[in-house]
Amino acid sequence: MPEPLIQVRELSKYFRTFHRREGIWGGLQNLFVREYKTVKAVDRVNLSIDRGEMVGYIGPNGAGKSTSIKMLTGILVPTSGEAIVNGFIPYRQRRQYVRTIGVVFGQRTQLWWDIAVVESFKLLRRIYEVSQKDFDARMEMFNQILGIRDYLHTPVRKLSLGERMRCDLAAALLHNPPLLFLDEPTIGLDVVAKHHIREFLRAINLEFHTTVLLTTHDLDDIEELCRRIIIIDHGTALFDGDLQVLKERLLRTKQIKFVLKDRAQAAGLTRFAGNGVSLEPVDEMTFRLRFDRTQVSASDLIRQLLASVELRDIVIEDEPIEEIIKRIYSGEASLSDGDAGAPAIGESEFGRR
Amino acid sequence: MSARTIEPAPTPFRERNPARGGIFREIYRHLALLSAYFSQYAKVRVSYRGDFFISLATSIAASAFSLGFVVVLFQKAPQLKGWRFEEVLFLYGFSMIPYGLFNVLSLNLYDFGNTYIMEGKFDRVLLRPISSLFQVLFEVFRIESLQEIVTGSLIVWYASRHLQIHWSALDVTMMFTWALSGGVIYVSVFLLLSTFSFWFEDRIGIHPPFWNLIAFGRYPLSIYSGFIQFLLSWIIPFGFASFYPTAWMLRRAEFARYTPLAPLVAAACLTIAILAWNFGSRRYTSTGS
Repeated sequence: MPEPLIQVRELSKYFRTFHRREGIWGGLQNLFVREYKTVKAVDRVNLSIDRGEMVGYIGPNGAGKSTSIKMLTGILVPTSGEAIVNGFIPYRQRRQYVRTIGVVFGQRTQLWWDIAVVESFKLLRRIYEVSQKDFDARMEMFNQILGIRDYLHTPVRKLSLGERMRCDLAAALLHNPPLLFLDEPTIGLDVVAKHHIREFLRAINLEFHTTVLLTTHDLDDIEELCRRIIIIDHGTALFDGDLQVLKERLLRTKQIKFVLKDRAQAAGLTRFAGNGVSLEPVDEMTFRLRFDRTQVSASDLIRQLLASVELRDIVIEDEPIEEIIKRIYSGEASLSDGDAGAPAIGESEFGRR
Repeated sequence: MSARTIEPAPTPFRERNPARGGIFREIYRHLALLSAYFSQYAKVRVSYRGDFFISLATSIAASAFSLGFVVVLFQKAPQLKGWRFEEVLFLYGFSMIPYGLFNVLSLNLYDFGNTYIMEGKFDRVLLRPISSLFQVLFEVFRIESLQEIVTGSLIVWYASRHLQIHWSALDVTMMFTWALSGGVIYVSVFLLLSTFSFWFEDRIGIHPPFWNLIAFGRYPLSIYSGFIQFLLSWIIPFGFASFYPTAWMLRRAEFARYTPLAPLVAAACLTIAILAWNFGSRRYTSTGS
């Protein structure tokens, strides 16, 4: 068993902020008397990620995602706890360490604003000491999947968000790091650009076995890329494990969507509502039955449905992952209550124990 | 996952640990990068031709006006506490050389708290495998300030002719060393001031009063009270960037005996600034998201 690429034990970051009073008088008071309070941005997080994994790191705004990433990339020094990544302690051996990682912040470019993209790449080539041969080969590959050749000679500030993102990704991978951190890589991008970027990430993961840790609010990113997710809120890891496991544990409702053969049959549907099943019309002919899968069996329901009405089409769907996450964030679905101390499933582990 | 992916990544990251190359290799690498950074930046600046020429003209005008002040001053009084016009001119011209060096690099120092700390640009700096200080100092240059070095040298040459100073090879070497030391002193002092931004996350600028102090060092220290002389020699040693080297060249022994300390003073300033920088950058807290 090789040692994990990322090993984090009880990692915490506390910020001391002061309460800013409002108004002019408040501002004056701030000058002399300040009330400080401690914010636990990240609170005793444990995790371990193996080489080649693609892990989704999700949580609502302000949950501590970015702070975690910044500690793991060596930008921030943790308040307590320890992290060993690629065999380095990120915040102590920063210069050696950052050679072995690639980082993309969706909100902010890592490239030089005023110079042409290709010049940025050339400068990065020298900074990371990439040989000309490797550089050419990688540029060729980036161009094939990301299609960046067209705007290589444009200054970064003139690129669209999607173009910039592709360039940022290429820049982060120019030195072929074994580990890639992505902080909201698809934020604000259109469907095509998102697709490109996901394709690219899959390709490098397969080709170079690159480990990827990504934060996102777009759960399609997770579903398309990651097998494993870590959910963090209020600085604490709530869940760490297989996406499938999460679904099995928390997926409560399923839905059956169907299209009637003719309008007249709609009258016969009313009897399905109730008993843990709800009926929602989608349009004139299309309806949706939502039900709690723990109380109602899908096959029973379908049998009854087919017996009473004639259908043109039928599809059974899981509850969207968004709904599950929403329930976790709002505290409706708890991963720790009742199951506290539940045996870890596979290699997964529950943060709050 | 396919079966063939278990082989190690093409870049073996442990084997290429740069620390093994030793400090000299690191210095060499940084110097090579400095030239890359500079040529890159120069290319961008020169590509905006209009902007560049306006900046250059402004810079020359600024130098001319401040020099004009010295000229006007001496039309009212032929001597300044025993210093003749040409001598003050020499001092002024020489001080432009380290000051020009400083100005080429100073842009980010004034702006550090604002752009790097408050706006979180320092994140990017910390993600690159080069010294953070190096990146902040050498990411932008005020190229037009190179003009000050040329102008300053011309003034020194003009003043030397009138003062009948003969330059030996040793003189040239010494003055060159002191000019460089002076540049380091200016940069170090302002660097130290910039590191305060790591502690005080407000958009305060504490540079301006110190910037004004530079001007004090461009006149003979002997015209000031003992307190200011002491301040400019041993606390904020701008005197070593301008006055002491001039006193040495003009053979004013009273002050010239301290002049050889200039490189030491510069080294001390730089050490303090770097220590403060390293200490401060560990406190960096970045911005939200």
